Amino acid sequence: MDFKENTFMYAIALGVVAFVTLQSVFFIVKSWKHAKELGIEKEKLKNTVVSSILFTVAPAISILATVIVLANALGIVLPWIRLTVIGNLAYETTAAQTAVEAMGGTLTSSIADKQQFSTVAWAMTIGSIAPLIMLPFVCKKLQTKIGSAVNKNENAAKLGDAISAAAFIGIISAFIARALAGTTSDGAGNAGFMSISVLIVAMVSMVILELVCKKFKLEKLRPFTMPIAMFIGMGSAMLFEAVLPENIINFVWR
Amino acid sequence: MQKNYFDRVHRWGILWNIGALLMLLSIPVLISTYYGAWPELSVLWKVLSKLMLLYWVTAVVEVITYVPMLGAGGTYLSFVTGNITNLKLPVGLAAMENANVRANTEEGEVVSTIAIGVSSITTTIIIAVGVLVFSPVLPYITAENSAFRPAFEWVLPALFGALGASYFAKHWKLVPLPVIVGVIVLIFSPTMGVGTLMFVTIVAAVLGAFVMVKKNWL
Repeated sequence: MDFKENTFMYAIALGVVAFVTLQSVFFIVKSWKHAKELGIEKEKLKNTVVSSILFTVAPAISILATVIVLANALGIVLPWIRLTVIGNLAYETTAAQTAVEAMGGTLTSSIADKQQFSTVAWAMTIGSIAPLIMLPFVCKKLQTKIGSAVNKNENAAKLGDAISAAAFIGIISAFIARALAGTTSDGAGNAGFMSISVLIVAMVSMVILELVCKKFKLEKLRPFTMPIAMFIGMGSAMLFEAVLPENIINFVWR
Repeated sequence: MQKNYFDRVHRWGILWNIGALLMLLSIPVLISTYYGAWPELSVLWKVLSKLMLLYWVTAVVEVITYVPMLGAGGTYLSFVTGNITNLKLPVGLAAMENANVRANTEEGEVVSTIAIGVSSITTTIIIAVGVLVFSPVLPYITAENSAFRPAFEWVLPALFGALGASYFAKHWKLVPLPVIVGVIVLIFSPTMGVGTLMFVTIVAAVLGAFVMVKKNWL
């Protein structure tokens, strides 16, 4: 049996899954209790749960795709572990690639040397733990400062609302700017016809869904408009690729 | 009351955070011990010096950017489970938007924490089931010639388009400045990662909002 996918590795992975799940359950239970104390309706919380699940499915499948890509070189278990804790798509691939290349290998062929394998595991772990070292020192300070600043008086609250809306918009703008003008080092996902079309389809679907909800008073549908609009955007990508000529699909300006 | 609840969340968060750190470090230790194969320090250092230069610096920016927006519980959960920009942050934002609650209030705190917790569990389950059950068929779904591939290739524009539309409709005056700034930055530095770019666009958006509030344009 491949040492990268033996019972020992699976046992570690299950331990990690258990830890992450327990932590999530812990915080959900505590928040749920406090939400009741605050008088937030149960319906609202249930909607939050269902729409969060719907929202998560598609991105989670793309994460799973990264696990599969990395499995070529690292076996399936280590990438699984790494993308369950801290991992993110771009980071884990870069980290694994840097480590494998430093030892003269490539990510396309399977690692057969145990020392190389453990080096990759160390590199992926240490490279990614900085935020966990910082959080205990800065998280509370940052949030307390911001909390007391925006809850000071009405003017401050108004400014605080505008600034937090602006910060959200800043985040979304970064992704929109990427769809408009970005490129990646491997050339996949460059700004072009596809990125803009999918963006626009998702936005327009969202606006239409909101209007439909308003017009027909579909309050029950409202929490799901965002995930639905996302799925319509993804579906449009499949449709475009299926029906449009290749030179339009591959048209990029970056 | 307000102070108490947040204080408690931070205390739990820090404990879980330390637990996560120990659990994480134990993974390479276990692997090296079990296989009797420890990395050669010179090789490891060569790799880490590159990675840490890149990711420990980005980590500072990420912590400063995300912490105010994820809420306390959401922050401790997100930084342990990862995939913040492409998953946890949009899920938290969407939940607060749908539930009509503000960030940095207790209502916002509980809603975003529940959303991010649910999202973490969902991701963990999907990856685990995917690895254990579907790993033989998955390569076909994401393969170059699969009909589903484009859907996953373009998942981010779809996600942020859907999320963006409802925000933009409400706060359209705040939109042009950060988008234009982001595009200009990308014209000069086209491969800049979205994590770094985000820092620039957030600063632009916040400064813009500040000026607009002071001038009563909002």
